[in-house]
Amino acid sequence: MTELTLHNYELDDQCYKVRLLLSALGCRYVKVDVDVHPGREQRSAPYRRLNPLGALPIITEGAFVLYGAEAILAFLARKYDSERTWLPDDPTTLGRVTQWLAFAGGDLNAASLARAHALLEVEADEDSVGRASRRAFRTMDDHMTRREFDGAHWFAAAIPTIADIALFPAIALSRDFGVDHDEYPALRRWMTRLRTIPGFVTMPGIPSYH
Amino acid sequence: MSFGPAWYPVALSNGIDPGRSAGTRLFDQELCIWRDTEGVAHAWEDRCPHRGMRLSFGFVRGDKIACLYHGWQYDRQGQCRLIPAHPDLEVPATIRAARYSCQELLGMLWVYAEREAATPPVLALDARDVVPVRSLYIQCAPSAVMQALVERSKTIGAASATLLTLDADEQSVVAGLQPFGASKTALHLVLPAPVADRAARQHAVASWAEELRRRLEDEAEPAAERAAVHEAAL
Repeated sequence: MTELTLHNYELDDQCYKVRLLLSALGCRYVKVDVDVHPGREQRSAPYRRLNPLGALPIITEGAFVLYGAEAILAFLARKYDSERTWLPDDPTTLGRVTQWLAFAGGDLNAASLARAHALLEVEADEDSVGRASRRAFRTMDDHMTRREFDGAHWFAAAIPTIADIALFPAIALSRDFGVDHDEYPALRRWMTRLRTIPGFVTMPGIPSYH
Repeated sequence: MSFGPAWYPVALSNGIDPGRSAGTRLFDQELCIWRDTEGVAHAWEDRCPHRGMRLSFGFVRGDKIACLYHGWQYDRQGQCRLIPAHPDLEVPATIRAARYSCQELLGMLWVYAEREAATPPVLALDARDVVPVRSLYIQCAPSAVMQALVERSKTIGAASATLLTLDADEQSVVAGLQPFGASKTALHLVLPAPVADRAARQHAVASWAEELRRRLEDEAEPAAERAAVHEAAL
């Protein structure tokens, strides 16, 4: 397939990051549904050839293959956002965006694991991933609390960037693994703002009524 | 130290935007706090009378809140007004959400710990304008947080059992204490207005608060671990 193609699983929070940005960018793309649960198709030989880690999301465009949500967000922003707002060029903003992308794929990954454990029978130490998730959410809430002191409303810039996209699913879906939003007032306000981004889409677990 | 029936702060006023809801907790009671689109704040038991779903997961429409499960809508008095599956039904008056008394003072949302408080909160502190700083959630018993505040502040004024004025990093701060549960406490922090150099002072108080949280949790954690080991042994 030469068109931009997303190998996707609707319940996967990592795939949701990509769907969210594609929708905000108004990109046309082909969606290939992968049987992650119970089929574990992402671990099959054909998918291992696309991503040796055996995980989604994966995008292809002609012969080009890319896996990992944060890498895909960066690629899509650079290629399809001619205004360069989602991944700005100036060094300080680029640095901040990258810092939060690394956090989204690092510390915050505990939340993905906690959710996959709760919903998709993925093995994990429930207590330790739960604790690590809450620690990551607290780091995010502390940060957005301080951003608001300075009159800022987004994680890394005066406007929404791919950092906001990469950080949103974990906290928005946290009730799936029993972490409520009670203790994160600044993140509640930020999530309300994120829902107003043109092209915002939901996924199962994120109600559309708000 | 005991916390009896009284008024308790459960959020900063800016923690709940108009048209939004959030869950919180006072002792073992789950609360839904929500603000209607006209800006009036409400505190209810966090339970839809229909199936027990948390109402704080629901969504606000005008002066009503609707449950996420089946869309049952409740007005400001807690009375159910609409059951979407039976839109023509005149809803029986017995279908009501349980309400708590709720007031806003000093930039905080106050709730009486028992249903239907007769008297409004008396806070022996001028109801001045304030600048919000933040709500801080600490994994530590309410009495231990209170004790730490008393020990670490040069001057402390207790306007009520749950409202203190204290020094935070050389600054006068008003702190409302919310007993979230046996081992969790929330502190709602505001600065008395007027505040010069507002953002710088908010940052300073936030730094003080984060450090306080870290220390209290470091002290509380070994005790919690001991308790867990003890439980496991039983």
